[in-house]
Amino acid sequence: MAAVNLQASCSSGLASEDDANVGSQIGEAERLERPPRRQQPRNNYGSSNQDQPDAAILAVPNVVMREPSGPRSSRLPGGGGGGASGELEEEQGLKYGAQHVIKLFVPVSLCMLVVVATINSISFYNSTDVYLLYTPFHEQSPEPSVKFWSALANSLILMSVVVVMTFLLIVLYKKRCYRIIHGWLILSSFMLLFIFTYLYLEELLRAYNIPMDYPTALLIMWNFGVVGMMSIHWQGPLRLQQGYLIFVAALMALVFIKYLPEWTAWAVLAAISIWDLIAVLSPRGPLRILVETAQERNEQIFPALIYSSTVVYALVNTVTPQQSQATASSSPSSSNSTTTTRATQNSLASPEAAAASGLRTGNSHPRQNQRDDGSVLATEGMPLVTFKSNLRGNAEAAGFTQEWSANLSERVARRQIEVQSTQSGNAQRSNEYRTVTAPDQNHPDGQEERGIKLGLGDFIFYSVLVGKASSYGDWTTTIACFVAILIGLCLTLLLLAIWRKALPALPISITFGLIFCFATSAVVKPFMEDLSAKQVFI
Amino acid sequence: MDISKAPNPRKLELCRKYFFAGFAFLPFVWAINVCWFFTEAFHKPPFSEQSQIKRYVIYSAVGTLFWLIVLTAWIIIFQTNRTAWGATADYMSFIIPLGSA
Repeated sequence: MAAVNLQASCSSGLASEDDANVGSQIGEAERLERPPRRQQPRNNYGSSNQDQPDAAILAVPNVVMREPSGPRSSRLPGGGGGGASGELEEEQGLKYGAQHVIKLFVPVSLCMLVVVATINSISFYNSTDVYLLYTPFHEQSPEPSVKFWSALANSLILMSVVVVMTFLLIVLYKKRCYRIIHGWLILSSFMLLFIFTYLYLEELLRAYNIPMDYPTALLIMWNFGVVGMMSIHWQGPLRLQQGYLIFVAALMALVFIKYLPEWTAWAVLAAISIWDLIAVLSPRGPLRILVETAQERNEQIFPALIYSSTVVYALVNTVTPQQSQATASSSPSSSNSTTTTRATQNSLASPEAAAASGLRTGNSHPRQNQRDDGSVLATEGMPLVTFKSNLRGNAEAAGFTQEWSANLSERVARRQIEVQSTQSGNAQRSNEYRTVTAPDQNHPDGQEERGIKLGLGDFIFYSVLVGKASSYGDWTTTIACFVAILIGLCLTLLLLAIWRKALPALPISITFGLIFCFATSAVVKPFMEDLSAKQVFI
Repeated sequence: MDISKAPNPRKLELCRKYFFAGFAFLPFVWAINVCWFFTEAFHKPPFSEQSQIKRYVIYSAVGTLFWLIVLTAWIIIFQTNRTAWGATADYMSFIIPLGSA
């Protein structure tokens, strides 16, 4: 373990000697406190302190599990009561997971509601008269085979752009070009909050025939945009932040619905689910690399891309090499901001779960206190939930090109940041020597409600599916898609609770959604119509 | 962000920043300031920074009220006199409705 810790400290650029000592002490403590883990299914990048009793992880679906839940009961400190308490843990874990599912239902449903309401009332978003640069085949021929291959070609082009942009993002991230990434995020959310909202407002007023003057409109836009930027990128009330994120996701979905030709939209949905699956689950997948790199560095992953149901207290988002070395030289247990966040984030809210399952906070905070040499970086908590809106240019194709491509990678990353609240947290836990006890100052009771996070891209594509279904005018299909997506989301979260790794949230839901959509419109709808025509009530 | 968990100086700092931000033609920011810090200022047991937060909340409320009155007055004036003003009103209009006189 000492060797492993040394390796970890070397890789993280901290002063190696002291850290190794601390690390080895930590390792010792770890060994005493916990039974050894049987399996390490993931590459831990040398941080072996993952034996943190993340029993709380069971409860939190987002946690990236370092081990399957099977040997969980063996991890409990009391070996004798391991079996029973293991079951209790599982049960509480699943119950807690269920709570999180519910917490996600509301925002996802709200987003879909906004999109469906807009599609049904504002005809602007229903018509595709201007096309994106990325979809050169406009599907204007009446023959199905032509439409089919042009949809395929369009979706291939779009997917390749997405893949390229994702890799670009990963490269930037690996090279620690944080400024570029953050600047890009801010720019895109700026554009989304101002320009696209302006267009949306204009279409909304036009659809309802409401007169408005420029001064009032500008004042409204200015207020809306500035408050949006503040709540997403800086600090603001949680509900406001969540509301803005939902709204921006809905805006993006509307743009997709408007600017993609018919069959292309469906093809893109299918292609993106497959890409999601590949990018997150395969060992070389870019998003997996992103997540693992973030864990390795104990950083947050682009807070602007994720919807979170609770506040994440991020103390100092990123650790720059200069920072880490400076702090490292000052004290071995130099603080790493994000770990604290994880700490707070990862702890369960319910005391009984804590008692039963050896709450992470409970276990880890005393340990942190032992290890920490007192160099506490009590930086302020900053909400991590930000939304990175896609850059959106004007409707005209020329404006779209750069912005769209800039957006795409964001959207990709956004989409790919699946349900993971504690993913980085786990890795940070493992690097205990880098943890700060600051959370104890902020949260004396040591218990934070654990939130659930879902990438904004998932919101967007769910809403695209439902919006497209509702644009055909049939409520049965719309509701069927809605239910299908929610079922898919439940299943995904269940799998998350079982597997505890980062999972793609798109494939299951989109598959169900597509199946239900086409099945309903092809089978159920004519059936219902026939039934009501013949006045047969079932 | 959950201010109930933030330390008091932080709350004061946030309240102050929101207050000063509102001067840039941002009544929405003032309104948020009022809503967000209302319980902190009035319903919590006294703490050292509370009087200052109270002050900022009250000033923000005054500012919001002021803007509300101004905006309402302007909107009423504009909407009722829009057709009477003719070309000027058209020039100022963001959306001109269809079909009505």
